[in-house]
Amino acid sequence: MKTEIKIPAIAMTISLVGIVTIYSSTYMKQGEFWQSMYQRQILWVALGLAAYAVFSRINYRRIWDWTYVIYALVIVLLLLVVGSGIVRLGAQRWLRIAWFNLQPSELAKFAVLIYMGRYCSKKSADDVGLKAHRYGIIRGLLIPFFFVAIPAAFIVEQPDLGSGALVFFLFLLMLYLGNIRLRYLALVVGILVAAMPVAWHFLHGYQRDRILVFLNPNIDPLGAGYTIIQSKIAIGSGGFFGKGWLAGTQSQLFFLPEAHTDFIFAAFTEQWGFVGGALLLLLYYLLIRQGINIAQTTGDHYGRLLSMGISLMLAIQICINLAMNMGLAPVVGIPLPLMSYGGSSVIITYICLGMMANINRTRAVF
Amino acid sequence: MMRARIFSVCVAAVFVFLGLNLFNMQVIQGRRYRDMSNKNCIRLIPQAGMRGSILDRNGVVLVGSVLSYDVVVLPQESARVEQILAFLSSITGTGLPQLRKNYRKNYSSPSMPVPVIRDVDRQTAAKLEEMKLDIDSLIVQQTPVRSYPHGSLASHVLGYLNEIDHWRLTKLQDYGYKTRDIVGFGGVEEKYDYYLRQEDGGLSVEVDHRGRFTRVLGFRPPLKGKDVQVTLDWRIQKIAEDALAGFKGAVVIMDPFSGEVIACASAPDFDPSVFVKRNYSAMGPLFNDPNAPSMNRAITGTYPPGSVFKMVGAAAGLESGKISSSTTHYCPGSLTVGSREFKCWNTHGNMDLIQAIAQSCDVFFYKTGLAVGGQMIHDYALRFGMGRPTGIELPYESAGNVPNPFWKRVYKFQRWYDGDTANFVIGQGELLTSPLQLCRFTAVFANGGSLVTPYIIKAIDGRDVSAAHRKVSPVNLRRSTIERIREGMRQVVSGDAGTARALAALRVSVAGKTGTAQTSGDKTHAWFSGFFPYEQPRYCICVFLERGGSGGTASVVARQIIESMIQEGVL
Repeated sequence: MKTEIKIPAIAMTISLVGIVTIYSSTYMKQGEFWQSMYQRQILWVALGLAAYAVFSRINYRRIWDWTYVIYALVIVLLLLVVGSGIVRLGAQRWLRIAWFNLQPSELAKFAVLIYMGRYCSKKSADDVGLKAHRYGIIRGLLIPFFFVAIPAAFIVEQPDLGSGALVFFLFLLMLYLGNIRLRYLALVVGILVAAMPVAWHFLHGYQRDRILVFLNPNIDPLGAGYTIIQSKIAIGSGGFFGKGWLAGTQSQLFFLPEAHTDFIFAAFTEQWGFVGGALLLLLYYLLIRQGINIAQTTGDHYGRLLSMGISLMLAIQICINLAMNMGLAPVVGIPLPLMSYGGSSVIITYICLGMMANINRTRAVF
Repeated sequence: MMRARIFSVCVAAVFVFLGLNLFNMQVIQGRRYRDMSNKNCIRLIPQAGMRGSILDRNGVVLVGSVLSYDVVVLPQESARVEQILAFLSSITGTGLPQLRKNYRKNYSSPSMPVPVIRDVDRQTAAKLEEMKLDIDSLIVQQTPVRSYPHGSLASHVLGYLNEIDHWRLTKLQDYGYKTRDIVGFGGVEEKYDYYLRQEDGGLSVEVDHRGRFTRVLGFRPPLKGKDVQVTLDWRIQKIAEDALAGFKGAVVIMDPFSGEVIACASAPDFDPSVFVKRNYSAMGPLFNDPNAPSMNRAITGTYPPGSVFKMVGAAAGLESGKISSSTTHYCPGSLTVGSREFKCWNTHGNMDLIQAIAQSCDVFFYKTGLAVGGQMIHDYALRFGMGRPTGIELPYESAGNVPNPFWKRVYKFQRWYDGDTANFVIGQGELLTSPLQLCRFTAVFANGGSLVTPYIIKAIDGRDVSAAHRKVSPVNLRRSTIERIREGMRQVVSGDAGTARALAALRVSVAGKTGTAQTSGDKTHAWFSGFFPYEQPRYCICVFLERGGSGGTASVVARQIIESMIQEGVL
């Protein structure tokens, strides 16, 4: 099968599974808001597919030119969140634009990705060679750090430590892929490790709890550890074949919190068992594999970086979310791409996939 | 793109790892998680069944169950609970602070109903039931509660109910008993708990994360326990207990031919309902009281039988040929055995066997005993069922003790002296018997030479089981031996100098033997063991008064009992 068919096919399959699971986790809840949630997700997926169609036809090199526009837009949106965002679950992460609740941190991931892609693929005017591996510490580390730190700081302030850390991780990843000297990366990692005890003091109480609870969920089984324990029970009780659709007691009787967003994987595997879970893992892997394949076969450095960056961003989000569902990582608010409920996440993911498809399509021209 | 290739390998590795972890959680550890998931969402709401009743021989309920109405509240927001408690207080008149305290004390989990008031009366229950539509989280729960229509009647034989203790739990948990189960303690309640025990039913319901009910998964109706009918006659039991009032002691009345126990009283007794009401201030003293009201003196208590035991010596002497019905011994008031002088309680002069039994002459029996020997008296005592449990179907029966020369060597490291024989034959010293054993011993003379096995269970669940308990075995005594001793026992009551002349005036002819046993203190144990009517015995009776004075006192109590039986028309 051709790559340009594979990508949307896999993504749509996963989205469909997501819609079905969102329905199963919310249909028992009271209220129009919950009852219609899966319908809204259908809308987001439809919009996402439209965005995919658009972006897969826009030459990805045009995005190079828009980089700073998008970057500035993200900063403005993040500022607006601080000013007039919607507070939900104790965090100020959303912006209300008409009927749409935008989550600018999703957009920030995308902006950082294209910014870093552009920064690392600048070419020297003299020999048309890449400049990145010749950068000194200021151009190789401090300037991009400055650009990434501004949105990251806003996101952490929301507070959304998970997304903030993800943005920062993306930054390191792109530096690494962009052939920045390894010693600079080692320096950053060294500073990070050294700063951990200091950072501990700046964490919110609940963030500390989450880390402590991750180390041992049983220290607080009804408080912070509750989510991890319920999620593990949900996944484990699914067994090999699962409890069946709409028969998952953990998610349908609401023992599992956030069963339509961050813990949708637990809700899904409770109902579909190891069979469903393993198939889903395979689909995700195939999707990521497409991006890596495109990166490996693309001659253009910018396209290569973007494609690799997109698939790695997806891979990191997926892996962290799944690990968190299985109790292998602390609970951080990172949704499962394509499955979790949320318009911003769904649409941005489809835009990224669209760009990936475009890189693939454009390559053939070269 | 070396760096990119590293990532693609990493991603593949992480996905494989996640897949393996998923396999571990869902397939390898799946059962464990499934159990945890079920525990999350399945709750059991128990519904108690009714414990079987205990009936007397005529079907009168001795111990039954009545419904008690408990008011329970489903846990919810504290403001709402406060409102409900205030409402309850206004209806029932119980103080609000008390209700709050009960609610806090009994609260166990958000999905379990909390009992707030136990045992409200029927009118209040009906009134609250009417309010149910307004307050749906207020429930009047019907719980069967043990009732004792006759109060403390036969409390030792019937036993009481209490929460299972650790020792019983370790023994019984293989039979489906759980912690906090209510089980029988003592008597029929304990021994026949397996039959009396109700089967609790209940609802298993599915609840959501807040413990709110979602649907019923299953229902099992509670089952009533089986009724147990005992051989006691509650009227005679009551007569016996009334006669014992003010004494410490026991009365056993038995059918001498079948071994059916008609009455089995022990004093002081206790009120078994204090355990139902969880009246802790009344429960504590029950077990610490030096008078041991919880002990069944009729089967658990063992005491020296005193002169009642002389009939064993008489039987041994007659059977071995050491004495005959014409043997006479002279009683000068005492007898020197070895270097010690053994006193008789009176100076009787010339005594034959029948006179010696009637007047309870010690010297006659010292001489008989010395002629027969301690070992043979011991052997005859065993033939009469002493020194081992009688086999009645009640727990905690004592064996008693019958000494012999070998026993004394082994346990006391001492020789058996003639003095020991002299003490033994008049029922003193190391000899210990329970009132039930003596009653059974007396029955041998009443029924003409058979040792019966006392039993108390007549029927279980309407099926007569007495045939399984009835065991009658011959003692193998000569007819003449039985006759002589019976005559002696009759003379005890009817003779001019008999020790139980108090019974002579009764309309029914009584035969028996008194006993006065020395104790460590200054007061003696009083015994009377006999049967009536003499010609065609229907009942064996054994009266024991702990430190109650002389055997004459016991015979007075026996007379009171028999008189009342005649008055009540049960004879």
